Amino acid sequence: MEKFFALIGFFEILLVLFMQWEVYTKKIITTFSIASYTIAVFLFYLGIMENKYLVVILAVLTAGVRGFFIPWFMKKRIVRDPWREREIKPTISTALSILISLSVVIFAYVLYRITFYDSVHLSDGSIPIALILQGVFLMISRRNAFIQLIGYMMMENAIFLFEGYLFPALPFIVEAGVILDLIGIIAIAGIVVKMMKNSTTDSNEFDELKG
Amino acid sequence: MGYIYSLPMIFTAIGAVLCLSRSMYFEEFVSVISALATVVVTGTVVFLPDFSNGFLYIDGLSKIMLIMISAIYTSTVIFSTTYMKYIENPLFEKNFYYFLMNLFAFTMFFTVSVNNFGLMWVGVEATTVTSALLVATENNESSMEATWRYIIIVSSGLIISLLSNVFIYSATHTLSLSMLMSMKVTNAGKILTLGSMMAIVGYGTKAGIFPMHTWLPDVHGKAPAPVSAIFSGVLLPVALYVMARILQIVPVESVRIFSFALGFLTVLIAAVLMVAQGHYKRLFAYSTMENMGMALIGLSLGKYAFIGAIILLISHAFAKSSAFFLTGNVLAKYKSHKMTDVKGISKRMPFTAYTLMFSSMAVTGTPPFGTFIGEFMIIYGMLLNFPLFYTLTLVGFLALAFIAVNFKIGKMIFSESDGEMMERKRVGRIVPMVNTSLAFLVVFLIPQIQEILSKGMIR
Repeated sequence: MEKFFALIGFFEILLVLFMQWEVYTKKIITTFSIASYTIAVFLFYLGIMENKYLVVILAVLTAGVRGFFIPWFMKKRIVRDPWREREIKPTISTALSILISLSVVIFAYVLYRITFYDSVHLSDGSIPIALILQGVFLMISRRNAFIQLIGYMMMENAIFLFEGYLFPALPFIVEAGVILDLIGIIAIAGIVVKMMKNSTTDSNEFDELKG
Repeated sequence: MGYIYSLPMIFTAIGAVLCLSRSMYFEEFVSVISALATVVVTGTVVFLPDFSNGFLYIDGLSKIMLIMISAIYTSTVIFSTTYMKYIENPLFEKNFYYFLMNLFAFTMFFTVSVNNFGLMWVGVEATTVTSALLVATENNESSMEATWRYIIIVSSGLIISLLSNVFIYSATHTLSLSMLMSMKVTNAGKILTLGSMMAIVGYGTKAGIFPMHTWLPDVHGKAPAPVSAIFSGVLLPVALYVMARILQIVPVESVRIFSFALGFLTVLIAAVLMVAQGHYKRLFAYSTMENMGMALIGLSLGKYAFIGAIILLISHAFAKSSAFFLTGNVLAKYKSHKMTDVKGISKRMPFTAYTLMFSSMAVTGTPPFGTFIGEFMIIYGMLLNFPLFYTLTLVGFLALAFIAVNFKIGKMIFSESDGEMMERKRVGRIVPMVNTSLAFLVVFLIPQIQEILSKGMIR
């Protein structure tokens, strides 16, 4: 099982690195969808192997909500507003993004070996940490609201992968609640993003958001 | 008997559903009734013993939180009934505003009632989901921007606390609050300590604790007055409630010192930033941050300081909600967030002016308000645990915050103005006056608060 976890984790890192370098929002959303389906496959396999039906249900929920519903919802919004399809001015250039995102993976490995390794005996335990940090980097390096949301969801995915592997006995109601919250956040974020474009413009009011 | 503890959640959920109906004034009527019903129920549970089952965990601390939430929720709903007309281009219909407000109250009641850290996380994150659109009610670009920052920063911060749940589970094999409370961890391992610290940082994001506080002034500054009031009065304390639970289940030195340091830095930074503020709502937002920092210091020190923190939170909830209601009155009439545009409130809106003066004094810990007693107990606890230098530094920054708020608000109130009278009527005046008075009356309830915290009920 540890080898399968490492394989899935490695694949997740490749996907998130692709997201860091990509500028087309639609492709990033599709990549996120693939990453979520991959985690669902892992949870499904884990549930079957360890005979835990709640983990299987969690896998189905993950595939349905993170793999299908959320990417579908986001793409629907992009079709309505074509101006969102491409990140026009990323905060960090693509070349620098490549460099930083690779450094983040190395940093996560070093961090894990120094801090958690003594307590969490997992040879590839740095993978979830790397994924969380990549999610943070995706959020701070982009201006596009949907890509920032995907950064947030990548962080959540990393925690799902981590806890799914280490603690499959974690109360199901908690996991289901987390998924429910995620749907809520995405729905609300979708409305806010839409309203950001339609709301009354008053550039003076932005002064108030300083200091 | 357990059903009575679920009633606040049930009332708010029913209230929310009924608000979806589009009858004239029906949503206001339903919301006020459901809010008053929660006050009656939470006022009753303090006379009942502690309760816990697989889903609920209600002890003295939960009961105090339930009362605080119901009281501020009620005053917010009542104040909203006459305030909403001042919002020129609202994002949604009035009934949807009340629908969200009731759901928001539901999520807060849920968070302080559940017997599971995982569900507490779900509850705190759900408060973001239900309240985000409330922040954007005024429907302009800057309020949308503030809402977006709120969603992204708070959700990312809460990811840290989600991870902390995993760590706590890995160390204890349970997330049940009642089981963790009975474990009495005195020698926590590395993972549990780390998980607890992550929880402090994560939930600290929602409580406006440094370093993840940046959403707070934007949201409090741009949300409509009643929303700022309920955020400041009870939403932030709900996040502090979860932090208090963490400190109760893992009472180890390193976690306490870490919490103390974050609380201390929060007070320092908020006090300095208050001096530089030119917008009155943001000024009160930083004041909230300062009070939350003080409360965290109290929670981390324990004993008398813990009781002081609870007294501070209760009194602050009333005083700060009143201050935000009054800033709503000022904004409705002066149409500006800038302090320089607001002059001579005492001449043009005398009731609002004097209530604002008293509520400003209350939020900055002036005697005889409950905030003073709370801060005094926290400072006393600090003197017992730390060298005098730390206490003096903290008191110095509290004094700076006191001067910043009262000088700036005083200038708005007592400056000269030639304009005509434009005072708000009835509800717009009475609700803030009642809340400011309650911020003082808390002082007479300190023995009862202590009894609820120590024995779980008033006998």
